[in-house]
Amino acid sequence: MYRRQVRRRRAVLVLLVVACLVLISSHFSEGEGGPLHSAQNGVGSILAPLQDGASRALKPFRDLVNWVDETFQAQGENEQLREDVRDLRAELTATEEQLAEGKERGKIARIAARDPLAPYSAADARVIGRSATTWNQTMTINQGRADGLEVDDAVISGDGLVGRVSSVNGGSARVALLTDQGSSVTARVLDGGPIGVVGAEVGAADDLIFDLIQGDAEVKPGATLVTAGINDPKLPSRYPAGIPIGEARESAAGEQELSQQVHVKPFADMTNLDFVSVLTGGPS
Amino acid sequence: MIFTPRIIVTVILIVFFSVLLQLAFFSQMPLLGSVANVVPVTIIALGLLGGAVPGAVSGFCAGLLIDSALGITPGVSSLSLMSAGYLAGRWREGYDIVSSLVPPLLTGALTAVAAATYAAIQLMLGVDAPVSLLVLREIAIQALLGMLLAIPTYPLIKRMLRSALVDDARPVRRKAPRGILGMAG
Repeated sequence: MYRRQVRRRRAVLVLLVVACLVLISSHFSEGEGGPLHSAQNGVGSILAPLQDGASRALKPFRDLVNWVDETFQAQGENEQLREDVRDLRAELTATEEQLAEGKERGKIARIAARDPLAPYSAADARVIGRSATTWNQTMTINQGRADGLEVDDAVISGDGLVGRVSSVNGGSARVALLTDQGSSVTARVLDGGPIGVVGAEVGAADDLIFDLIQGDAEVKPGATLVTAGINDPKLPSRYPAGIPIGEARESAAGEQELSQQVHVKPFADMTNLDFVSVLTGGPS
Repeated sequence: MIFTPRIIVTVILIVFFSVLLQLAFFSQMPLLGSVANVVPVTIIALGLLGGAVPGAVSGFCAGLLIDSALGITPGVSSLSLMSAGYLAGRWREGYDIVSSLVPPLLTGALTAVAAATYAAIQLMLGVDAPVSLLVLREIAIQALLGMLLAIPTYPLIKRMLRSALVDDARPVRRKAPRGILGMAG
């Protein structure tokens, strides 16, 4: 009797492990339109309204816990913010002087004239689900193909770039965050700085890596990075130009010390997003 | 655990709602620089109450549901949750739960095992970005949060499945036979 139970237990375990391995290998071998992907999208479509409802219903509880967490964080950040305020006040004075001389006004006018985001329309969406692991930084939003969203549309928050639409269903879409291991975006340093690629570092939710930097120009801490939006018809950029990404923190030597690597703090708080905008359409 | 159709439906609902709660609540609520994961906690509780096979099967199903909802490679979460559920069940089959501290401590340890398994599978499948040592901190925090979550979750699930638990079946107390006017006979 006991031996039969052991045999049954082992058989079930082996069966489940084999099923997992078959699923993983099938997922990698088939295309985006394969049966496994379609089944996943189907389950995602069914779960999306339930997630949406649960997310709305549980928002007050989430806010309460976030409020407690943020209160503790705020105590630690208070000192740092005081220093920042002092620095910013000094910076503001300097900027106002420059404005008085008319230099800054000219720069602002030039940026406004370019306005690379004008051809796009923004679709506001609510975050209804998120992955729980640091390995797959994805979230689900409550807007989909029916709202004009397409794969690779850029997703932004009020602070800056958040990620891109990785897959889309009728009424929901999945967004790969900038901190996802598969994300990368061509970026440039503001004010004529070099171009490079911003990617994720697995395990560090508030850290990005600016890598493959062209030229020898040094990226100084505090420099602002925006999307480069390369317009090469052979390999067009997924993101429109000029979306703020983050601020350079510290520079470190790259692999084998051949290139410069810069740690970047993203402007958008990837860990705490409720609403985002998806940039749809764009220049035809 | 005695599996009746009603108990099977209860287990399915427990797994489904834990996944929904994870996606819509816990994942959107950062704590200590990470997020609490209620799904492995639920699966470990099911393994501790039901044994190795129910633990492994419910872990497999929960993982498949999570991977489908998030559009990530199916089978990865299943393997990690299945390992946690199976090991919890094997513990239950080999040892008695002699203290109320055992389920939370075991949940913390097995949550770390599940997170480490997930990390190992991801590394084997190939990662397109540098991996920071902070991943280890994340595993430790998830284990700690899992241990804390197990304190209310394990008794709750045990209560929901009480009628199916062999060890926990309450002996029916016989009333002493009483005579006329309620006097003990």
